[in-house]
Amino acid sequence: MNQDNQIYHFEGASRYVLDEELAQIVNVSMALEMPLLLKGEPGTGKTMLAHSIAESLKMPLIVLNVKSSMKLLEALYQYDTLTRLNDSRFGDSCRNVSNIEEYIKMGKIGQAFTADVRTVLLIDEIDKADTDFQDDMLDVLDQMQFDIMEIDKTIKAKNRPVIVITSNAKKDLSDPFLGRCNFHHIAFPQPDMMRRILGVHFPGLNSDLVEACIASFYRLRELRGVEKKPATRELINWIRAIKADPDFKVKSLAQGSVPYLGILFKKSGDLSIATQQASRLRL
Amino acid sequence: MFVGFFYALREKGVPVTPTSFLKLQKALSMGLINTLEDFYTAARSILIKSERYFDTYDSIFAHTFKGVPLTDPEEIELTEIVRALLQEWLKNPADIAQALGLDEKELAKFTPEELEKYFLERLKEQDGQHHGGHKWIGTGGTSPVGHSGYHPGGMRIGGASRNKSAIKVAMERRYKDYAQDGPLTEFQINEALKRLRRMVPSGPKDVVNIEKTIYETMRNAGEVEIIFDRRLTDRLKVVLLIDNGGWSMDPYIEVVKTLFNYSRSQFKDLQIYYFHNTIYDQVWLDPQRQFRPEPIDEFIRREPETRLIMIGDASMAPYELTHPHGAIYIDQRQALPSIERLKFLAKTFRHSVWLNPQAEKIWGYTWTIGVIREIFPMFELSLDGLEKAVLHLMSRN
Repeated sequence: MNQDNQIYHFEGASRYVLDEELAQIVNVSMALEMPLLLKGEPGTGKTMLAHSIAESLKMPLIVLNVKSSMKLLEALYQYDTLTRLNDSRFGDSCRNVSNIEEYIKMGKIGQAFTADVRTVLLIDEIDKADTDFQDDMLDVLDQMQFDIMEIDKTIKAKNRPVIVITSNAKKDLSDPFLGRCNFHHIAFPQPDMMRRILGVHFPGLNSDLVEACIASFYRLRELRGVEKKPATRELINWIRAIKADPDFKVKSLAQGSVPYLGILFKKSGDLSIATQQASRLRL
Repeated sequence: MFVGFFYALREKGVPVTPTSFLKLQKALSMGLINTLEDFYTAARSILIKSERYFDTYDSIFAHTFKGVPLTDPEEIELTEIVRALLQEWLKNPADIAQALGLDEKELAKFTPEELEKYFLERLKEQDGQHHGGHKWIGTGGTSPVGHSGYHPGGMRIGGASRNKSAIKVAMERRYKDYAQDGPLTEFQINEALKRLRRMVPSGPKDVVNIEKTIYETMRNAGEVEIIFDRRLTDRLKVVLLIDNGGWSMDPYIEVVKTLFNYSRSQFKDLQIYYFHNTIYDQVWLDPQRQFRPEPIDEFIRREPETRLIMIGDASMAPYELTHPHGAIYIDQRQALPSIERLKFLAKTFRHSVWLNPQAEKIWGYTWTIGVIREIFPMFELSLDGLEKAVLHLMSRN
């Protein structure tokens, strides 16, 4: 089939364990040319997904980290008036001062549009920005073009980027915004899945250690009164720390002593709760 | 195609739009969706825009494509419980054989499915004979199975296991913890409370207002005139009063506390006080209600714009509320009946609500609830009620 060359198919990457459900959703979103909105607990791999899509489809990744004060224009392009002023005063640059276009710098969305190859555009933590930003941005992404007012030029996307948007649900997203996205909620992985995830991150890790770590990790997640439960990211860092510790013994984990709790629990309140209760967790 | 499914979703209150439905048709026509499993995931990601509706979606999906009755969560739940119980018991076949009154060898002949069915049958029998008999499974306390929506440890939904049919996946109801009805979970309350945030300008004038600057500069005939604005910050103050005394509030305290700890990050200024049953002269900053009392009269010094949220079951003996010396603790000497204190609070803070963890339909049976409802607008401590409460708190008048 000829079409196979055009329809990209995503099947996971070297550092990311993909469940079938998510793979299907990514593929449908790409085919429908809709942005994919990902929600889920922090640390469950929302951002990582975009990285792995880029890796597996061999497309460059462009990351737009949304900030609360961000204006849409910043994401599209910037008109560098200061440099132009400087050039016009001192005239020691090779730029042509009367050509404004030379002072237009593309923002992240602009870069994705003007890139010569198809890119993956990750818009990280969209919920930080205000609603207007979100809606306006979706307009741009919908039409795949924007205007540069200063030079009266319309920038059209050369290649439609694969768009992944993540949200930590700090604010509610507006209905029109949601209407234009495909939605997926990344659930917290179950132990089976977690084993596979760890297998990808730590190939050849002693399986006793993996089992013990996963068992105590899921127990620690069950602790009551904890504000921010440790997620996959914390687990991976924790195992990294454990691996680096030459004195660590798997047995001690089973006996209820959990080292490096600070890696799993980031808030001081949580840490003290965990320290209190961890000793009681015997396997 | 699938119009019936679409309308079934709509009827159950899932906000699905025609546009997204057309998108789904497009996906179908592109040949992207070849199996029911594909359809399940694709349709969910295209049609459903919030994890809150995933659970409803699951049950409607199972209903539409398998004819699973919609309004019988009990059944599914039961099966779920049975399965989990069986798994636990199968580790020790002697136990289960004994429990079912079977020979262990006989038991070994069953396949897991048969066993499950057999067990379920037995269970229903039992249900018929002693009414409500199946309760022993859920509420026995020693059971290893988590029952219904609320599960303090966290979510029990999975992402991996897909060697089952879509129907089975849907019937697992993995997203129950996110569902709108049912007991409140930490995730939901956090969502709802976010609406309470309101940004108002405050602090030093340190943000340049470019438009005004240009305008003023023009008015000044080109002489630069820079206009500064105040920064937008969240200045909303919230006072939370939690009833943490007595067994009646016990099941809710942990939830409520965690929730509002979560929400601490949401508000610049959140203060939590504790009381027992109702409010007399003072409330406490410490949950033990011993060391750090705060006189109620002091509350008048706070900004009237402060949002007051009371959480309690509002159930007590009538005299506790209305008698001048109603407090159930001997060391609390007070002159005013508690009801006056409550009225004082309601008058001091224009924006106040009372959240009651009990279901609204049983409020009518408690006299004190009725009295307190007249003082504070009362809402159920469920996602729905919380949203209404937040709406009430944010209204301007």
